Amino acid sequence: MQFKIFINYMQGFVDIVVEGFYIERFMNICANQQIFLWNVKKEKETLLYARVGIKDFKRLRYICKKTDCKVKICRKIGIPFILNRYKKRKIFVGLLVILILLVISLSNFVWNIEVTGNNTIPTEEILSIVNSNGSLIGKMKGKIDTKQIINQLRLQRDDLAWVGIELQGTNMLIKVEEADLKPEVIDESEYCNIVAKKPGMVLKISAQNGTPLVNQYDIVKEGDILIGGWIEGKYTGTRYVHAQGDVQAKVWYTNKQKVLLKEIKKEETGEIENKYSVKINNFQINLYKTLSKFENYDTIEKNKKMKIFSNFYLPIELITYTNKEYKNYEVTYTLEEAKNIGISRAEVELQKEIEDVKNVVDKHVNVYENPEYVEVEVTYEVQEGIGTKEKVVF
Amino acid sequence: MKKKSRLDEILSIPDEVSTNIPKITVLGFEKVLIENHKGILEYQDFFVRLNTYIGIININGFNLKLDDMTKDDLMVTGKIDSIDFENIMGDENEEE
Repeated sequence: MQFKIFINYMQGFVDIVVEGFYIERFMNICANQQIFLWNVKKEKETLLYARVGIKDFKRLRYICKKTDCKVKICRKIGIPFILNRYKKRKIFVGLLVILILLVISLSNFVWNIEVTGNNTIPTEEILSIVNSNGSLIGKMKGKIDTKQIINQLRLQRDDLAWVGIELQGTNMLIKVEEADLKPEVIDESEYCNIVAKKPGMVLKISAQNGTPLVNQYDIVKEGDILIGGWIEGKYTGTRYVHAQGDVQAKVWYTNKQKVLLKEIKKEETGEIENKYSVKINNFQINLYKTLSKFENYDTIEKNKKMKIFSNFYLPIELITYTNKEYKNYEVTYTLEEAKNIGISRAEVELQKEIEDVKNVVDKHVNVYENPEYVEVEVTYEVQEGIGTKEKVVF
Repeated sequence: MKKKSRLDEILSIPDEVSTNIPKITVLGFEKVLIENHKGILEYQDFFVRLNTYIGIININGFNLKLDDMTKDDLMVTGKIDSIDFENIMGDENEEE
């Protein structure tokens, strides 16, 4: 019965009051004609409250005439009456329907491509491969063949170990796992020399296999053979081997820095100016006048993609330009200050180059003074192994 | 009144389906479900009189409501004091 009432709610029903002397007869006729009445309650002698469905209500009129009853509607309940209320607001309902259809249809397209997992490969390169058969942005989701894109990526790039493509909402997520390029491994059975990879002065040379060709304190250039991949015997003649050994050498790293005694420095004044522009697909609308009110300023650009829900991206971007004003002012250093600045700058640069700072053996600083500037040259002496294997070419 | 046929007996179809005998289900003191009734004879706040094929059912109580009314079924809810029957069939049989 509950289910029946629920269906009646969907179809709509009305609360009615029946007034008359032959109410029992009225009810019997209703039952006979299969008019479903529920929540029937009698009050006083002649009043009857009941509920009846919309369709059945129209048939009640005939029964009322027959039984001399009067029917009145107290309350209208149900979905048809709710909908009826919106009949006057046709445009509102129409636009609502259009909006829903638009959201549904637009969510069938890809609006954004995201690449994750790439540390060394630039995102643009991956995107250019993906978009090589025409841009994927704005394409139907169903028409995108992810397997084909994955194959294309794997074929064109060797440094991708794994590619996965996921369609999340209107987002296309390209997950990439980078592969290290495998180093050229020289087989034990092949003949090789050990050559210098950096210029330096040899400090120690220990050949486990092969003939050492340089002595201690020899200065070597890049590419010089340090340990030859052959052994000469008195009786056996020249025999080629797989050279092995360790070559330690002093390597010099130098860095020159020029420090002006009068330097111009920037300082932000804290004044900020925001400018906005909207980008739809590739069409940009600027919402500002082009000239800034500041004389000197840095511009920071920020892009924000519009999205509905968490992953439904629209092809609309909001770009914010932040102009930060700065002032130039001059700083004059004394000779001593300029020197220190130069040294510290050079050291920072050098430490980026050197693999292991612990191996630094010695430090030299040369200072050339000029009336307008100071030139500082810092040299690090580093002890490190410089040998690498290289195949013997006959 | 419908008679019970052999087929109904073999298939053991319930009596209220195969014949017109009313089935009265009383749930607690507040609900009475009457199936196979013939119509309402009288309905007041405190008194319901129903016609069936074998007699008349009277239900006394307070605030009686008729809940689900269809052609054959009727649910009476409210505070029920008593249910009594007026047997027509028995009288007829005696006369015969």
